[in-house]
Amino acid sequence: MVSAAVADTFASLKAGLDARAAGRIVEPGGKPVSSGFAELDRVLAGGFIRGSIATLEGGTGSGGTAIVAAALASATRCGLAAAIHDGTLYPPDLERAGVVLERLLLVCAHSPLASARCADILLRSRAFSLVTLPAVNVRGTVWSRLGALAKKSDALLLALGQASTELGYFASTRVRCAIDRIFWTEGSGVLRELAGYEVCTQVFKHRRSAPGAVARLRIA
Amino acid sequence: MLLCVHVPAFRLAVARRGIDSSGDVIILADKADRGRVLEVDDRAHTLGARRGQTVLQACAAAGGARVLVHDAPYAHTVWEDMLDDLDALSPLVDDTAEGTAYVEMRGCDGTAADWIARAHAVLTRFDLPVRAAAGPNKFAARAATYVRDGCICAPEEAAQLLAPLQLEVLDVEPAIVERLHLLGIATLGELARLPHGPFVRRFGARAMRWHDCARGIDPAPFRPRPYALQIEAAAFGEGSAAQEEQVYFALRVLAERICSDLSRAGKAAALLRTTFECENGDLRELDAGFAQATADPRVVLDILRAKLEGLIFDAPVTGLRLQALRLEECGTFTTLFSGTQPDPQTLAIALERLQAVGDIQTHQAHVRPAHLLESRFTLSHFVCHGERACPEQRFPGNASRREPLSSAPLAHVIEGRASTQLRMLPVREVAVRLRGNAPASVDARPVVNCAGPWRVDDGWFDSGHIARDEYDVLLEGGMLWRVYKQGEKWFLRGAYD
Repeated sequence: MVSAAVADTFASLKAGLDARAAGRIVEPGGKPVSSGFAELDRVLAGGFIRGSIATLEGGTGSGGTAIVAAALASATRCGLAAAIHDGTLYPPDLERAGVVLERLLLVCAHSPLASARCADILLRSRAFSLVTLPAVNVRGTVWSRLGALAKKSDALLLALGQASTELGYFASTRVRCAIDRIFWTEGSGVLRELAGYEVCTQVFKHRRSAPGAVARLRIA
Repeated sequence: MLLCVHVPAFRLAVARRGIDSSGDVIILADKADRGRVLEVDDRAHTLGARRGQTVLQACAAAGGARVLVHDAPYAHTVWEDMLDDLDALSPLVDDTAEGTAYVEMRGCDGTAADWIARAHAVLTRFDLPVRAAAGPNKFAARAATYVRDGCICAPEEAAQLLAPLQLEVLDVEPAIVERLHLLGIATLGELARLPHGPFVRRFGARAMRWHDCARGIDPAPFRPRPYALQIEAAAFGEGSAAQEEQVYFALRVLAERICSDLSRAGKAAALLRTTFECENGDLRELDAGFAQATADPRVVLDILRAKLEGLIFDAPVTGLRLQALRLEECGTFTTLFSGTQPDPQTLAIALERLQAVGDIQTHQAHVRPAHLLESRFTLSHFVCHGERACPEQRFPGNASRREPLSSAPLAHVIEGRASTQLRMLPVREVAVRLRGNAPASVDARPVVNCAGPWRVDDGWFDSGHIARDEYDVLLEGGMLWRVYKQGEKWFLRGAYD
């Protein structure tokens, strides 16, 4: 009789919490790192989880760099951020996205191991709230160590590109990106310009919310 | 008596050292690309090149002029070496500015002519056009160097010697000189003859000094340069270290000794030079710069460890020397609410460790207006400090302090907005088929949509002329590329992502 009453009470409490959390699994943690897009933050339950690895998956032309730029803009507004890249990032576009270049450390590394080593050093320094790097193909133990370092330093390690199985395993958040639509200005020829694109993002792994949520981001 | 040692156009003279520039028209600029002229030689001046012009303007005026770039650290080192050598004349040397120094000779052996000869003798090795002259005060001694090299200005003859000199010797603004010229005053003698009171009332309090100087009186005090403080520690002849741990242990001991000396002197070091002597006779010097001058042994050791990560020695280390350089007064400038402020030393250690990885470049980007996509930004070394120097009055006697890099939220930053991002892919040639004048396919992929061409014509004024037509093309499959046509060939420049 008592156990039935307890079970009922727990069931009603759980239903109430589920209703308030909208199906999300709620767990304590620091303030999430904003992706720079309100829509994406909403499906990520506030943003990327601090102290973890997140991936933005998709090849070149998937719109991932635009999301990285927005996240860097958000991070550099109140701290330092670092971007490990292969020399292809274009600073004028980063600045247009709102990145404070004075607070962004650009690290040019040309090999997967060098990228991972740089991420290790940057996370260990605890000076950067966000570190981005290409989703390089390295052993699972490397990602495991980087994940532990990200947690220890309370920073977000954001990997961009096609994620390997090992990276996918250690990432707390995985978001798939693809450009859906492209917008051009009116006119033709010289008078025509690229006006922007729409990136479709789909969360297929997240520690705090159910996977499958989709957000459409307008990049202009 | 004071001895004035003066090197006319010091920066230019230093830049010309060691290069064969005889017969060349020389212009000294602050930087090679888009620089400003700092100094010009006599021939360039005759042709119309002037200080403050852009290099392009000066080169246009003095056609075929050779442009040298000013190397400030090198010039400073040369000047410091010259001052050190002047210590041989007298222990009291006043370092007024690079290129001009005064030596207090009262109580020294010999006559003024001997002192001048001695000054030339000690500075011969620098191979610079040094002028030396003696005078009763700083202004008279310096003005005497303008009269001629080796000039001796006796106290009672000062006014007479200065009388024929031009007003420019006074180092006053050109506008003031022009006003005086309009009043019919062209030389110091004419200025000295003016009644003191009315002249000062008309030109203000500063004019008091000009009038005094013109009469051979200079109240400016002699300020001897402080003695250089040498702080170093060494370990030689105490066996050899073949293991990394042994080297670190020795370094730790030396670092603690150095930091203890620094603390006792009330100083902090901004640069640490480590010299390793190996068993095979190799000597290796390692400079480790600190983001903030420090006297903390832990920070010193952390930086040294980071610096040593990428080093491999061929033989066991038999000797170590640590020198503390660029000494500054102790104390750091911090903001009142420094909770979110990154520790510059932590950053410096991270940067050193990144450097030690090898094949890694750490940069800070700066955006600038330009026509070419590739020229719209520059990369420089990431600095841990803001570029704005603190107002000097906050730290009297220490102008070198800088504001630490703050990570407090920026009030002036424009709210970020999503923006299309171009990835600068390695430039490669692509096969483009045209329909009309627009690309119809790129690398056999049909073009779905296209914008352009945008003409880019840059560098026409020099040898790096680039003329190209740029297009944004959307390919079947969703790839969005920036391609350009240069000459008859097409190239891929980047992809939007």
